[in-house]
Amino acid sequence: MSQPELINEGLSLMLFGMGFVFVFLTILVIATRLMSVVILRFTSDKPEPAHPPSKAHVTKDDLMVDPIVLAAINEAVRQHRAHRP
Amino acid sequence: MDKLIALWNGSGLANITLPSAIMMAVGFVLLFLAIRKNFEPLLLIPIGFGCILANIPEAGLAYSAVEQLAHSHTPAYIDQLASLLGVQFETVKQLLDVYYNAPSSVQSAANNLAADLNFSNGMLYSFYSVTIASGVAPLVIFMGVGAMTDLGPLLANPRTLFLGAAAQFGIFATVLGATGLTALGWMDFSITQAAAIGIIGGADGPTAIYVSSILAPELLGAITVAAYSYMALVPLIQPPIMRALTSEQERAIEMEQLRPVSKSEKIVFPLLLLVLVALLLPNAAPLLGMFCFGNLMRESGVVDRLSDTAQNALINIVTIFLGLAVGSKLVADKFLQVETLGILALGVVAFCIGTATGILMAKLMNLFGNNRINPLIGSAGVSAVPMAARVSNKLGLEANPHNYLLMHAMGPNVAGVIGSAVAAGVIIKYVTVTAG
Repeated sequence: MSQPELINEGLSLMLFGMGFVFVFLTILVIATRLMSVVILRFTSDKPEPAHPPSKAHVTKDDLMVDPIVLAAINEAVRQHRAHRP
Repeated sequence: MDKLIALWNGSGLANITLPSAIMMAVGFVLLFLAIRKNFEPLLLIPIGFGCILANIPEAGLAYSAVEQLAHSHTPAYIDQLASLLGVQFETVKQLLDVYYNAPSSVQSAANNLAADLNFSNGMLYSFYSVTIASGVAPLVIFMGVGAMTDLGPLLANPRTLFLGAAAQFGIFATVLGATGLTALGWMDFSITQAAAIGIIGGADGPTAIYVSSILAPELLGAITVAAYSYMALVPLIQPPIMRALTSEQERAIEMEQLRPVSKSEKIVFPLLLLVLVALLLPNAAPLLGMFCFGNLMRESGVVDRLSDTAQNALINIVTIFLGLAVGSKLVADKFLQVETLGILALGVVAFCIGTATGILMAKLMNLFGNNRINPLIGSAGVSAVPMAARVSNKLGLEANPHNYLLMHAMGPNVAGVIGSAVAAGVIIKYVTVTAG
């Protein structure tokens, strides 16, 4: 193969190849979007929640802070603020 | 005394040549990089060890039976081979060149002769023919990669597929570079070799091995070593380019949290991809088909045993043999050539261009649409999973300590794997059409 011809081969492979990669992935993007829309609309399969099970087990008591601890925190914050110049 | 001389003549010390000593040193360097510098140790340890084994003089571990025969130092045997090939014996290399170019009927006659004379294939040669020459090992690894990959981030933001597409520009720019070097007369690559070199820019080990085993098996050693070395060097190669192409504000962009993706979407996607490949690009079907298969096993959730095997035991077994087989291609007469330097240089250029085009594509996408993309994730579009995504994350955190880009970067990262497999399919298709 002569040399200019080889460069031409390289150039056309670049155009052809990049073009195809983009076309393929564009179709894939569109198809994926469509698939997601269809699935989310027509199935009852809800997306997995972002913060799954752990929440279910948290009772109200866990969220309450012990009053003594709370008082200690408040006092610490007050002292810290008082010390600041 | 004769026995003693024979023993000495058969020893490694008497037979070692400078090239094979250099190649053994290369093997030791690879082992050093893997063990002390932690560069892709899973591959460089088997490759480096295979390289040392393959270059042990006289052992002929990387030789086929006929090659063993030609290197046997037994004039009677070599004369038989020479007369079978219909040439006068001059050097071993000349004899083997005739053998490689002989029609397959003559080649199989030579094989039979070697078998009659009790020569057999070297161990590494057998590994090579089972794993790489057959094309099996890279495909099994791709299945394992599919089984390991969570496509959730990609499905949550399919636009990132474009970043994976843009980063493949490095592949094609390098093909052009390789043909350019040939045109300048500095190197001598054919279009098939140029195409195989370009695939280093895809930054995907199995894809690079697969493509070069089909298009340019003679360059396989250099291409594989270049591909894996640069993947290990991602944390050094990419950041300067990423900093140069983005401003401080762009690097600090925080991206919207990814939406949760449902299980059905994850199950349907590999099938969707498979159908598209079947319809549009059957040449990418081996790579992407195995990828989709592995991913379907993972997401279907009903074959956990198979998925577990594919992503652990099986991929590890295949990696061991694949590494040794690649190492067996690191023999002096194939590796110690100017072309290898060219391949190493072109490989790093491919990587840099891929990184740059990924980032530029992300900046381009920011001009349209309202969901801003942090351009740093564009560089993850060269595959190199998950190293490239981690690099994006690290640079994002440097610019803005609340900016966790890892999950966002996994989208383009996986897109890069798909993109380079598509690019591989296109290249194989194009080159076989033009050559045939």
